[in-house]
Amino acid sequence: MNGAEAMVQCLLEEGVNTIFGIPGVAIAPFYEAMYENQDKITHILVRQEQAAGHAASGYARISGKPGVCVASSGPGATNLITALATAYADSIPIIAITGQVASTLLGRDVFQEADMRGATESFVKYSYLVRNVNDIPQIFREAFYIANTGRKGPVLIDIPCDIQKLTLKKEFSYPKSVDIRGYKPNTKGNRQQMEKVIESINKAKKPLICVGGGVILGQAQKEVRSFCEKFRIPMVSTMMGIGVMPKKHPLYFGMLGNNGKPYANKAVAGSDLLIIVGARVADRAVPKPDELERKVSVIHIDIDSAEIGKNMGPTLPLVGDAKDIFAQLLEADIQIDTSGWLTQLEEVKKTTVDHRVFSDRLVNPMTFVKTLSDKMDKDAIYVADVGQNQLWSADNYIMKEGRFLTTGGMGTMGYSIPASIGARFAAPDRQIVTVCGDGAFQMSMYELGTIAVAKLPMKIIVVKNRYLGLVREHQEKVYEGHYFGTQLEDYPRYDSLAKAYDMQYFEAWSNEELDGTLDAFLKADGAALMVVNIDSANNTK
Amino acid sequence: MKGIFSVLVENKDGVLSGISGLFARRGYNIDSLAVGETDKHDVSSMTIVSTGDERTIDQIEKQLNKKPDVIKVRRLEESRAVELEMMMIKVSYSATNRASLIELCSVMGAKIMHVTMKYMIIELAKEPETLDEFVMLCKPYGILEVQRTGTIAMSKK
Ligand SMILES: Cc1ncc(C[n+]2csc(CCOP(=O)(O)OP(=O)(O)O)c2C)c(N)n1
Ligand SMILES: [Mg+2]
Repeated sequence: MNGAEAMVQCLLEEGVNTIFGIPGVAIAPFYEAMYENQDKITHILVRQEQAAGHAASGYARISGKPGVCVASSGPGATNLITALATAYADSIPIIAITGQVASTLLGRDVFQEADMRGATESFVKYSYLVRNVNDIPQIFREAFYIANTGRKGPVLIDIPCDIQKLTLKKEFSYPKSVDIRGYKPNTKGNRQQMEKVIESINKAKKPLICVGGGVILGQAQKEVRSFCEKFRIPMVSTMMGIGVMPKKHPLYFGMLGNNGKPYANKAVAGSDLLIIVGARVADRAVPKPDELERKVSVIHIDIDSAEIGKNMGPTLPLVGDAKDIFAQLLEADIQIDTSGWLTQLEEVKKTTVDHRVFSDRLVNPMTFVKTLSDKMDKDAIYVADVGQNQLWSADNYIMKEGRFLTTGGMGTMGYSIPASIGARFAAPDRQIVTVCGDGAFQMSMYELGTIAVAKLPMKIIVVKNRYLGLVREHQEKVYEGHYFGTQLEDYPRYDSLAKAYDMQYFEAWSNEELDGTLDAFLKADGAALMVVNIDSANNTK
Repeated sequence: MKGIFSVLVENKDGVLSGISGLFARRGYNIDSLAVGETDKHDVSSMTIVSTGDERTIDQIEKQLNKKPDVIKVRRLEESRAVELEMMMIKVSYSATNRASLIELCSVMGAKIMHVTMKYMIIELAKEPETLDEFVMLCKPYGILEVQRTGTIAMSKK
């Protein structure tokens, strides 16, 4: 067995059935081994490597297993970097396999050599440069383990092309267990800390839970939700935490932060105990951590101890796996009465007026997201891109029991289309709707080719405001309306583009048209593209 | 405050750059960094001295711990650790101050490694603060070159 065959064998051992990538000579031996195994592992040829990375991310987020992307050396590999950085910021487990120049030529700047380990050092959880063909099984085993345990994240395996062709000395055998002496993720909450957490919850009059993406990554939605329900503790979420609780749940008080619900922020400010779970306390969610820290007691629960105390000094840190910790908390002796606090929050929610008004010239963006979500399946996957449209999506999507995928950590334009392709392979039977801006769409529209060839029934909606809207809004408010470099105008011709890729095409120009058009769009057989025209004057705040 | 970290790492390529990169990227100071092999060929030992506020020093420890190639991080308390750093310093002298420079060396426990007509190369291995002092004391003679190894440290326990 040669190195390339061993690589494919490792993927099979890990239960991988779909990978996303683009070949080149430096990864050609691996593709040759894939050729022999194409009935076992589907390879999706994307149109640009960044899309392979985002597709792997979408796949991972829905399947709960690491997504795999593949690229060749040099430019192929460097094209992956934005996707790796995105997965790192969002803690998504992906395995990136990149071809490298022959090991004998490393460091000589030969054709298509790029130092991928060096280039990605700060964007990956770990990386390998394979130097010995016999290490392949061990390296793959470790890579999958590191990516999908503890705080999840991307792992890079860079493998010189000559090593892919060498023969393994021994018969292939995949390691059963992993023992990395410097990597032992701590999952069980420390007993003493647990006691203190329980004690402080018991003392709290106005407790509030704030959930982040870590709850979903740790598959702890059920436990956290049951905990809130059992002890009647209200919840807010970050953008990455959307979906832990259905939007209309009586204990859910929306997304907090700069772009969130004003009443969610009031809930945070009014609480006396904030329990943060699986969230980074980053600037968009908590703009002034120092101020908050002085006002309320904070319990910070995270699998990554380095997140605790990074941006805010917690009163009580608790390191561990959310699923495990909340399963324990559910059984804990907690006696609190939050009815007064809940009534107060209800009141706040009712009386906090949203001053934002949206233009009804063309389609109203808020009406659009609400109407769309009403029509979506209970367990549907809503994939939101970046920009104004993302904030309207996060704000107005009525989450039921499905998923909301977006990049809250890196905010990479162009994420949504490839991520939804990946999600599609993880959940072929679930409804998936992709919503992006006209700017972001054009950063990933080459993927319509991937969708057409693979005959994926993707449903893509472009919220067209003819601008890089979020930046336009910033220029309006901060730079006295000096709009510069943000006009997209009327291109491309979306109907022609849909035709070019054999997609059905829909377009809405008014609120009145919205309902019928959305119905037809969602029901369309095969892939469909819909443009929702909105007034460019709409703002998010 | 000062943070002294004694860090055991995998003796593999890329580990040192990964750690120095971590400091650079997150804006942590490296006051000194010393790396060497341990009694096990696959384990290297690093002593990293940094300064920052309590939260920063705490973060450094946690971020180091996050690296899979980092086997163990120990934060050494200054009062409970012994520190040592080695320095070579090239100092010029004249006929008139030669005797006093030699006397300074013997008072400070420094060794003269090499002498020419114009300068001496002096070796001193002590706590880093003593090295700082010695540099100060040599200034009036004229310092031509200084090389320091960085601090290594060990817990007394
Ligand atoms: C790759 C990338 N480049 C630039 C940005 C900065 N940026 C954030 S939002 C935005 C505008 C997005 O425009 P569009 O996709 O049309 O969405 P809209 O805000 O108009 O809804 C830009 C340029 C980014 N987030 N990602
Ligand atoms: Mg736009």
